[in-house]
Amino acid sequence: MSAPALERAAAAGRTGTSVARRRARTAAWSVTVAALLVLLTGVALGTGQVEMTAWQALRALAGLGDSGDVLVVQEFRAPRVVSALIAGAGLAVAGSMLQRLFRNPLASPDTIGVTGGASFGAVLMLATGASQELIPLAALGGGLLAALLLGGFAWRSRMAVTRLVLVGLAVQQGLAAAVNLMIVRFPAELASSAMQWTTGSLYGRNWTEVWIGGTAVAAGAAAVVLCQRRVAVLDLGDDSAGGLGLNPRRDRVLLLLLTIALASLAAALTGPVAFVALAVPHLVRMLAGPPTLGTLGLTALTGALLLLASDLLVLHVIPVHGLPVGAVTATLGAPWLLVLMIRQGRLPQRSS
Amino acid sequence: MTTPDPAINTTNAATATATTAVADRPANRLSAHGLGLRYGNRTVVDGLDLDLPGNAVTAIVGPNACGKSTLLRGLVRLLDPAAGTVTLDGSDIHRMPARALARRMGLLPQQPVTPEAVTVEALVRLGRFPHQRMLTPWSKADQAAVEEALARTGMTGLRDQQVDRLSGGQRQRAWIALALAQDTDLLLLDEPTTFLDLRHQIDVLDLVDDLHAEAGRTVVMVLHDLGQAARYADHLVVLQDGRLAAAGAPGEILTAELVERVFQVPCQVVPDPETGTPLVVPKARSRRAAGRG
Repeated sequence: MSAPALERAAAAGRTGTSVARRRARTAAWSVTVAALLVLLTGVALGTGQVEMTAWQALRALAGLGDSGDVLVVQEFRAPRVVSALIAGAGLAVAGSMLQRLFRNPLASPDTIGVTGGASFGAVLMLATGASQELIPLAALGGGLLAALLLGGFAWRSRMAVTRLVLVGLAVQQGLAAAVNLMIVRFPAELASSAMQWTTGSLYGRNWTEVWIGGTAVAAGAAAVVLCQRRVAVLDLGDDSAGGLGLNPRRDRVLLLLLTIALASLAAALTGPVAFVALAVPHLVRMLAGPPTLGTLGLTALTGALLLLASDLLVLHVIPVHGLPVGAVTATLGAPWLLVLMIRQGRLPQRSS
Repeated sequence: MTTPDPAINTTNAATATATTAVADRPANRLSAHGLGLRYGNRTVVDGLDLDLPGNAVTAIVGPNACGKSTLLRGLVRLLDPAAGTVTLDGSDIHRMPARALARRMGLLPQQPVTPEAVTVEALVRLGRFPHQRMLTPWSKADQAAVEEALARTGMTGLRDQQVDRLSGGQRQRAWIALALAQDTDLLLLDEPTTFLDLRHQIDVLDLVDDLHAEAGRTVVMVLHDLGQAARYADHLVVLQDGRLAAAGAPGEILTAELVERVFQVPCQVVPDPETGTPLVVPKARSRRAAGRG
């Protein structure tokens, strides 16, 4: 967004109604986060054994400047950075959608079994000794398997869909147990690479993976945007949604499947990075208010920023070699989850 | 159908034009044929035959747990019938596409969920959902319907307020505005006056009356207060244990015998001093005891 637009938004925020204020806040934060994201992307691309400034790095990404820099940035650093951006955005959008659809502020791909499913798929693929390229695909398959389990329960049990979070937790635990069992049985080197994957890692991405994963995540996110009216109608409760021409049970399950596919695709790119999907929607709610179509962009940007920042910490700040980025997000996320639970009494409760 | 009372139904130019405008509208007759409704194994409504007049106000009354709200849910397809059918102008509503049905019938549920921090206008805009397709942008017709719904419910000045910060009466008007923006011939309201104080109850009922008289809507509502039902409805449906106890014009069917039979309350029915419609006055406690002994 341009500077005049930002000023306009800020002016509206000073004088206008609560709607205008909220829009202005959303716009202002989106611009801020986007600017930080560009800066951090430059820093991430410029940091490493070959040092360059953020500006040089961004130029190199565009193919300008020193040819050595261009090679380092485009071939070695950019795939990792870009997959962090895509996965962060995808996970955050998926997390925000899950919290709305389940009407539960603790819903996220980590708590409903999707990341457990993704790990399960990936580790199973490692066990068969298949090539590295197939791992993301297997993670996607595992995530969708978890979704199918959940969808199956929803269909069969006739349980209110909003209560399925508990079933999701069981699915997650079951799949995580299966993964642990496999890791224990694996030979040592296979076990360590499986461990690496299951805590979330951005290590060794290549452009093919990024393109495939990025396209898939973009398609999923686009579908989510197209369905926003439906989600807003579902927010009115099942009776009102039914009166407005939706089939609330069916539509909620279909939207959940779409969201879970998005989360699995994002997780397929990075491994199951914990807490991004849980934390970002709350962060955005604090900055700009409850989720609407307007805050979806800010959610994606914030998710990308958070994951990229965590990856930078892993690579360059924490002096432990080969630490997976999921370990950082989990370490930051655990206290966050605690704060959230303590605050829960004060969060607006919505009955289903 | 009784003639609407002149004290409530002010005849003005707007009414006259609205009435001519609705002359070529569909009949809007909602009927149940041998309707059975169940929650799990519990039968709530059983073998109900019902014919609700079009272009009129119908009130459904009855004791608690008699199946009033369940019937309303069945009539708008929130519940699938265990037996029988519901028809709108002769076609089975369960064979109509969901959105097409939502363009004919709007619903105000008993306990709608107000999304967090949603504004009045944002809420009312959602009423346009059945008229929109996935990629169509917000149209002038959509905006016009929202403006009219806001104006009719007196919410135009509150359009940017958060619904969860409004008073109970205002919140109810915001939800009615959503149903109005849906622009349906039929409007079904499930206990629209519950949780409201007397003034706001009358506000909401006057609004319903205007919607019928000026905007030509067919209204079906579940009510608790028999006096209010008799005042505001052209047609009364009295339910007892999921069956029809009586149906017809309030002045004809609302008798002391009926109220005593259905509600188990000995009473007198006297003409309402304001409107002349039947008014149920329970007998004093001492005389009730004497009557039973």
